[in-house]
Amino acid sequence: MSNTINAAMVRKMFLAGASNLNAKKEWINELNVFPVPDGDTGTNMTMTIMSAAKDVQALSEDVDMATLSKNIYSGAMRGARGNSGVILSQLLRGFTKGIRDYEELDAAIIADAFEKAVETAYKAVMKPKEGTILTVAKGASERATELSKEGADDLGVFFEEVVKYADEVLAKTPDMLPVLKQAGVVDSGGQGLVQVLKGALDIYQGKEIDYTVDAAAATPVAKKSVELSEEDIKFGYCTEFIVLLTKPLNVKQEMDFKAFLESIGDSIVMVADDEICKVHVHSNDPGLAIQRALMYGQLSNMKIDNMRMEHREKLFHELESGSYAEIDTEINGAAESTPTYNPGDDIPLKAGATAKAANEPEVPVEHKDMGFVAVCAGSGLADIFRGLGVDYVIEGGQTMNPSTEDILDAVAKVNADTVFVLPNNKNIILAANQAQIMLEDNNDPKKIVVIPTKTIPQGITAAINFIPDMSASDNEETMKEAIGTVKTGEVTYAVRDTMIDDVTIKQGDYMGIGDSGILGVGNDIDDVAVMMFDKIADSSTELISLYYGSDIKEEEAAALGKRIEEKFPKCDVEVQYGGQPIYYYIVSAE
Amino acid sequence: MSKVAIITDTNSGIMPEVGEKLGIIVIPTPFMIDGVEYLEGINLSQEDFFKKLAEGADVSTSQPSPGSTLELWDRVLEEYDELVYIPLSSGLSSSCQTATMLAADDYEGKVFVVNNQRISVTMRQSVLDAVEMRDKGLTAKEIKEQLEAVKFESSIYIMLDTLYYLKKGGRITPAAAALGTLLKLKPVLQIQGEKLDAFAKARTANQGKNIMINAMMNDIENRFGGFDARDVHLSGSYSYDLDKALEFKKEVEEAFPGYDMHMDPLSLVVSCHIGPGALAIACSRKIHL
Repeated sequence: MSNTINAAMVRKMFLAGASNLNAKKEWINELNVFPVPDGDTGTNMTMTIMSAAKDVQALSEDVDMATLSKNIYSGAMRGARGNSGVILSQLLRGFTKGIRDYEELDAAIIADAFEKAVETAYKAVMKPKEGTILTVAKGASERATELSKEGADDLGVFFEEVVKYADEVLAKTPDMLPVLKQAGVVDSGGQGLVQVLKGALDIYQGKEIDYTVDAAAATPVAKKSVELSEEDIKFGYCTEFIVLLTKPLNVKQEMDFKAFLESIGDSIVMVADDEICKVHVHSNDPGLAIQRALMYGQLSNMKIDNMRMEHREKLFHELESGSYAEIDTEINGAAESTPTYNPGDDIPLKAGATAKAANEPEVPVEHKDMGFVAVCAGSGLADIFRGLGVDYVIEGGQTMNPSTEDILDAVAKVNADTVFVLPNNKNIILAANQAQIMLEDNNDPKKIVVIPTKTIPQGITAAINFIPDMSASDNEETMKEAIGTVKTGEVTYAVRDTMIDDVTIKQGDYMGIGDSGILGVGNDIDDVAVMMFDKIADSSTELISLYYGSDIKEEEAAALGKRIEEKFPKCDVEVQYGGQPIYYYIVSAE
Repeated sequence: MSKVAIITDTNSGIMPEVGEKLGIIVIPTPFMIDGVEYLEGINLSQEDFFKKLAEGADVSTSQPSPGSTLELWDRVLEEYDELVYIPLSSGLSSSCQTATMLAADDYEGKVFVVNNQRISVTMRQSVLDAVEMRDKGLTAKEIKEQLEAVKFESSIYIMLDTLYYLKKGGRITPAAAALGTLLKLKPVLQIQGEKLDAFAKARTANQGKNIMINAMMNDIENRFGGFDARDVHLSGSYSYDLDKALEFKKEVEEAFPGYDMHMDPLSLVVSCHIGPGALAIACSRKIHL
């Protein structure tokens, strides 16, 4: 029995919590109320916490509480994606605020940190709803405070009681939110939080679990854990070092440095506190990383390994039966097919000057008062947004919610004083708001204004209503007003049986989802689309737009357009290629 | 008291026969349609013009020839002591520049060319203001000065039904050209003094009309110092579609109580760049003497 925990234990518990959430993410994804194919609460929360876990993992075990706290919250804030992810990052931010000044935590400090966590998270949400992750967090916090007041000093009992109570609150979420009850699920975000707490509890209780985090989980494309073959080694030198900072890096320097490392390699881990910055990168030219790092201070603990050579040695050992020739062919063949980077060509000392250039503006664009970043999935939609003057399109939207950091990166690429961000998805608005706050906290001269567009058509309407001659604040007002005038519907398919808004939905059914619920269910895509228009179009509707997805053929879309035209003879009907995945049609009436 | 003549051209929306009643002289604007020259208001009606435009005829405008302008001045000056000439905005045509040059040579003190950046209904208002000033006994020089003193105090917004003609013609700024996108849009253009430029875009006519009404309210409030109908002229214009125009007039008058909106067909020189189905709202500062 012990009554305090130190930073090493907090580090271990955090990593175990993250690791447990990661293990349960698919299961949590399935808890989404809407049985849509892109239900991704588990993924979003996991990617958020993994962004912090990656940084925390790189810290040594004898880390102090302040450094640990900073890494937990800054990693989570940057990696935050999706609404539950953003709320989780705020919980961690509040929690670390409560612990950072102590090296030994007792029940009272932990209870206070829980309270701070809940307070911070509630503030981050404009209209906090009960029956969600917030309620579960509040329950845990209340129980912790209660136990601490009762004089709890055995942390083992304390943690167990808190987690047990959080689980109980979670079980009650369906009673608080009718949609959960009807769908027969508990809140997915709340479940995610409980899994984090359970992971932390397990390791505290000494259960044998592997709490090393899989760094891949923090990156958008989940890497398969297949055996590494040499072809996979795109960047040959594993490079690690520590920069002894001359002065602390500000957020911009940190982001620039990271962007630079991304431009010369992959597998990047970069953790900084006020004195040191730890860097890990796989690159074909480690010299560049070192040269750049020297701008920030002296280097120590430098280690560079040639991974291709190591792999070759490993092959020799593993394939004892194989001939040298075979192995050499394998290696050489692979080497030839690997585009090698010749460091002599030109040494890019500025971020983004190399690899990723394809997606970036070729010429430095003229500075403007106002610019735009929009999030969407599908090449057609991206083209539409660009055509409307959007400077940078974050492709991903529906299936992969961009993180706060992705949004900050995109905003950094727009050369304008005010950057309007169009999230175009209700699950991305919070991450965008968080980006806005982070920029503000950093006293960045650039300003983010989030236009809370919940759907693609709302985003298109906002972009159309932008008037370059008006001030940023007038435009903000106009756009916010304009997005209320467009009604949206989306057609997709159900991934499981459920019941929403008293409508029974069978797995595989096509569903039409509107701004505030189910507009139609059926087994014919076109019929469902028409059902949606019956609900969203009325006598004042002038224009109906159909954006067809990647699974719909042009002729099919044109035929549906014709059918709608016949049904609504007074309206203009416009059919456009959207190219979005998962959603066969995104439609709007205005 | 000197006898002052007022001359304008059909870009003011005032046709020669109406001009006679106002006691002014109106120069018809020449149009070349498929190689044949027509004169606006003489042998080219709105009806004919849009019919030919829809048929895809090759339409271009030109300024009245300097020769004919001089001839007219000479003839007018036989009867009058001095004259005020109010041509189309210098930002949209070179008539004003040509006339200023011609006047500087031999007509100093006699011909006063007004450069006040007006077109269509705002130009019409300038002409009416000039007539009023003439009737009150102001000299040609004074009339020119009064009109030019408020030259930037006018504003026009035009919503196009289609981008087709704007793209086809040449008289648009790059900003307006950038309006061409994948989506069907109804661009709203503006004329603030000099040029026809992009202002905003809308997807539906109702959105476009709202944008224009709001922009106009904003101008009147912030640029013209308030909503008093005694200080500001409000007018409207349209190309070809009168029914749509009358509906718009009703909507504008509801949004601006106390104003009586004058509605004219848009001058053909603008229409040939923006095509049929356009609606416009305009305002200009009233001149108080």
